[in-house]
Amino acid sequence: MELTNAQRLKLNAALDTLLPGDEWWPAAGGLGLVDRVLELAGLDPSHPGMVAEACSALPADFHQQDSDARTAVLERLEAGNSALFGVLQLLAYNAYYTDARVLDVVESRTGYEARPPQPRGYVLEPFDESLLEKVRTRAPFWRRV
Amino acid sequence: MSEVADVLVVGAGPSGGAFSWRLARAGVKVVCLDRGYRVAPEDYPTDQPDWESRRIRDFNPNPNVRRLPQDYPVDDEDSPIKPLMFCGVGGSTIMWSAASPRFHPSDFRVRSLDGVADDWPLRYRELEGYYDLCDRMVGMGGMSGDPANPPRPPRSTPPLPLGEGGERMARAFDRLGWHWWPVDGAIISRPYRGRSACNNCGPCEMGCPRGAKASADVIWWPEAEEAGARIVTGAAVSRVTVDRKGRATGALWFDESGAEHHTRARVVVLAANGLGTPRILLSSATTRFPEGLANSSGLVGRRLMLHPVAAATAVFTENVGSYVGADAYSIFSQEFYETDADRGFARGYLMQVTRGQGPLITALGGFNLDIPWGRGHHRRFEELFGHVVTVAVLCEDLPDHDNRVVLSDRLADRFGVPAPKMIYRFDENSEKMIDHGLANAEQVCLEAGASEVLLTRFLPQAGFHLMGTARMGSDPDDSVTDPFGFCHDIPNLGIVDGSVFVTSAGVNPTPTLTALALRSADHLLHHRDLETPWN
Repeated sequence: MELTNAQRLKLNAALDTLLPGDEWWPAAGGLGLVDRVLELAGLDPSHPGMVAEACSALPADFHQQDSDARTAVLERLEAGNSALFGVLQLLAYNAYYTDARVLDVVESRTGYEARPPQPRGYVLEPFDESLLEKVRTRAPFWRRV
Repeated sequence: MSEVADVLVVGAGPSGGAFSWRLARAGVKVVCLDRGYRVAPEDYPTDQPDWESRRIRDFNPNPNVRRLPQDYPVDDEDSPIKPLMFCGVGGSTIMWSAASPRFHPSDFRVRSLDGVADDWPLRYRELEGYYDLCDRMVGMGGMSGDPANPPRPPRSTPPLPLGEGGERMARAFDRLGWHWWPVDGAIISRPYRGRSACNNCGPCEMGCPRGAKASADVIWWPEAEEAGARIVTGAAVSRVTVDRKGRATGALWFDESGAEHHTRARVVVLAANGLGTPRILLSSATTRFPEGLANSSGLVGRRLMLHPVAAATAVFTENVGSYVGADAYSIFSQEFYETDADRGFARGYLMQVTRGQGPLITALGGFNLDIPWGRGHHRRFEELFGHVVTVAVLCEDLPDHDNRVVLSDRLADRFGVPAPKMIYRFDENSEKMIDHGLANAEQVCLEAGASEVLLTRFLPQAGFHLMGTARMGSDPDDSVTDPFGFCHDIPNLGIVDGSVFVTSAGVNPTPTLTALALRSADHLLHHRDLETPWN
């Protein structure tokens, strides 16, 4: 999928607005995720051309607006065309939360290991049968028929 | 292809697998057609960096989102609950979460006991031995001794770990004086019959590369194929064929190139799920059967049941690591499972404790979360990720004649076969049950120490239990199949999936539909002449 330079600027600004940075978390646009968003859009046949359509729905100077103004624009898009906004949000989150740099932040902020769940899996304490001590004293209560 | 099978099975999921396993081991020549393909352990994406991205794309359980070439679309615009299923060897067990409670004895007698719906044409005790057989095959995990259920043999493997979140919920149920128990689950916590134990990776619905989860491709098909059963993949059945006497003769199907084939058989058995089976029957209409095959009762596609699911999510101040461990296999409560007239509704519900999800799915809202985009996003993400445990309320769905599957007039698969269209609404009984269940789920979350509880009255992406669309019964005027799953109108046409359910009970259906399939196979083996199975 190809975007014009103007569309790329608007998409980058939209990413920053959806997922802005703070003291710990990087902004999505600052990570340079535009190409990843386009790659993900190309993998999904359910919304062809919707990224370009979303960019077209944003004002020409969107990327030059301040954060409050961009937020207001996206709020209007969300209210007026939830399907289009939903695709934009889905792709933005998809690119962001599968980026290794973001997963490193997830790990540092939450303890969740920045790796796929397999093949290592996770270690948990075995089921503790003593938990059943109380409920085991209850008489059977299923209906006999 | 011009092959003649003793038995042609359509669908390689758990019921088709168990049915074929039983027959093939008895020497019956079984051919199974499935429109999907085999999924090898290395195909599962959970060891890949983009594994969560795949979850919302080609490993999405909703076929309308997944859109793989082998999928057929489902017209769901008239249903608030969306379909979840998988086409391929193993069927929807490839993507199931493996919670495996049984029906209760009362579930087979709801008309007699509670004056609603209909009794089944069989009793629990007739199915009990088949449940036990399934349990041994899958290595059922859990604990015997549950006071909410009839006694059953020791489970094959201990329950999976609950994790901190599950243990908090268990103690909360105790403090409220409500029943809870580790749910029977088809995931092994210890090695069993050559399979590796679960390593608590989490996203069971994305397939299990270790074989710890008992999907049908792992449990039934290896032995069935070793005994001679043959699976044809990429075979999209369009219709069942019948002869002039109205007997089933086989099935027409398309291969992936679009070429059409006919496989002939003495017996045809549909195991294509509660949407796929009525779709094939309705698509198979002929001059003799203008309303579709086996439909003299008018009930093919009728009485669609889906199990409305409500959810209460406990948010804990502390990180309880809820992204770790089998995501929907933990503990359950059947405190409110049986009818209590004081509640204002008939029948009841199951409360199933589930866990959290990975970062991407959490950010997207998971089952039930509210994470805003923009400035508040990261703060809210950190409040919820790893901090949540959900209590899902799975409601018994009483059959309603108007809830149904018909052929879509606007969607078709890539071969031109009409898609199934779901027409479904909640009835008043379900609405009351949801309210009651949600209030109690909220209460247990608060009792567990939740700082906040997020409530959702029903989950749209929860159409994983597809039942009732070709019900069984003794009366041909009021049922599609006989009590063993063979059609009243066409005795050599069988149905062994959730379509035959008379009622839905308030539990996950796979153990029951698998047990029913084994029972149907035994009936065919012992009470029918395979040379002239229509007699």
